[in-house]
Amino acid sequence: MILAVCGKGGVGKTTVSAIAAQALAEKNGLRALVVDADPAGGLGMALGLTPRRTLNDVRKEIIEEVKEGKRDKRDLSVSLDYLIAEALTERGNMAFLSIGRPEDEGCYCKVNVILKDTIEGLAGRFDATVIDAEAGIEQVNRKVISSVDYMLLVSDTSAKAVRVVETIKDVADRMIGNEGAGLVVNRVRDRAEIEGIQSGTALDVIGWVPEDDTIRRFDGEEKSFLELPDCPARAAIRGALVRAGLL
Amino acid sequence: MALFDEQLGEVRRVLESMSAGGAARQFAAGARELWDKGSTLVLQEDTALEMGNPSVASLSLLLWSEDGGVEDGRITLVGPDVGEALKSGSLPFAQVVIVDGTFESEYDSYRDIRDAVYDTRLAGLSIRTMPSKRTLWCRVGRDAADKGLSLIDLGAALIDSVKRLEEVGSAEVVFVTSSAEDVRRLTSPAASAQRLVDAMMKMYQEQNFDCETCEYQDVCDTVMDLKKIRSKLTDSQD
Ligand SMILES: Nc1ncnc2c1ncn2[C@@H]1O[C@H](COP(=O)(O)OP(=O)(O)OP(=O)(O)O)[C@@H](O)[C@H]1O
Ligand SMILES: [Mg+2]
Repeated sequence: MILAVCGKGGVGKTTVSAIAAQALAEKNGLRALVVDADPAGGLGMALGLTPRRTLNDVRKEIIEEVKEGKRDKRDLSVSLDYLIAEALTERGNMAFLSIGRPEDEGCYCKVNVILKDTIEGLAGRFDATVIDAEAGIEQVNRKVISSVDYMLLVSDTSAKAVRVVETIKDVADRMIGNEGAGLVVNRVRDRAEIEGIQSGTALDVIGWVPEDDTIRRFDGEEKSFLELPDCPARAAIRGALVRAGLL
Repeated sequence: MALFDEQLGEVRRVLESMSAGGAARQFAAGARELWDKGSTLVLQEDTALEMGNPSVASLSLLLWSEDGGVEDGRITLVGPDVGEALKSGSLPFAQVVIVDGTFESEYDSYRDIRDAVYDTRLAGLSIRTMPSKRTLWCRVGRDAADKGLSLIDLGAALIDSVKRLEEVGSAEVVFVTSSAEDVRRLTSPAASAQRLVDAMMKMYQEQNFDCETCEYQDVCDTVMDLKKIRSKLTDSQD
């Protein structure tokens, strides 16, 4: 099961990803692959995991192999498997992979295709995969994120953030197709906000996550969300996953 | 002369000298049932034993002969098996697969056999390979170790897998886990075999026969089989 967490910048995607990943990994020892697909990073820090290498490092190595011209597709794909395994940071039954920041923008379509196949193959071997996507719709648009089973749309209570996830859902429907989707509204402070959003969007709202001091404190102290105690935001995010049938 | 004769000779000599101290044990592939295929994802937390971790010596080698010089179904183990090494948690690792048969279309045969080697997929055993570095990184899951997964099972699966190919008549496998030094003694024949394979791959991948600028000119000119492959390819281009 592949879950992509999408939304406008700064609404809480990384927070939701971290808490969702932990909840899934805790569930009967499910093995969870957690992917930070945001080139700006952040999920590693939220989880307290520092990857030694990123997918972009792996990509660079594979490009070198392609340039040398001695490896066919099968060899390249097993090499990728090896290098990605090296790039995984494991904690219990969770494995973390960071996409990193692409530096050279040369066109290596062949590499990108094999890379995508390999990650999808890797995700297929885990029980659950959580992808913390880049803000906005670009990754959905460019099909960087495809074969997703569930789009976890995140917004705060602003109308703008809700419009962004509506657009994402729209694009995803056209580009990817019939996956499930649900909206988690984050940083809710009062009843009026809930009513305002409910009447203003057709999206299926699966969770209302309150503004939460524990989240703010953990963030401020740069503590790992894997150590997050039970708190209202955590409970609400877990509730949303249950509602979506994911937990 | 078959493509890998020289390397095979060297590997045999190295293995013989390693076995001289009585360190080698031999098993027959048919002696046990094949291990189930299944999930090959093994996380660190579930790992009972790692073999060939990127930080230790590791080597993967595939060779063939065409003169019947392979003892079909033989699995040779130099060093401890999985069950004997669980306490250490980690072993250096070399895997040598040797097949015998008739390989008229060398490139296709090589790729078929190589893919068969990649395709064992034993439940609870993760195997990762870095072809350009000739390394192999295995993790044996706790469940698999509890059920008694042995290198004999891996050997039997490899032999079964490659022997499904028409062109393969017989196959044997050698594992070395005794020491990093022993594994490294296979580096030289492995590197030289890789140059042959790389030269062959490059011929097919690039279809470029400008020999003046090719980094493989030396092996290509001296190894009969590569010459044959090259002329086959250049003929087919005319
Ligand atoms: N429910 C909440 N209560 C309090 N603070 C929150 C809550 N959710 C998120 N935050 C805070 O909001 C900030 C942004 O959250 P986060 O980094 O998860 O957003 P993001 O969507 O991943 O941002 P970006 O687009 O920059 O990657 C963080 O400082 C985080 O601690
Ligand atoms: Mg983020």
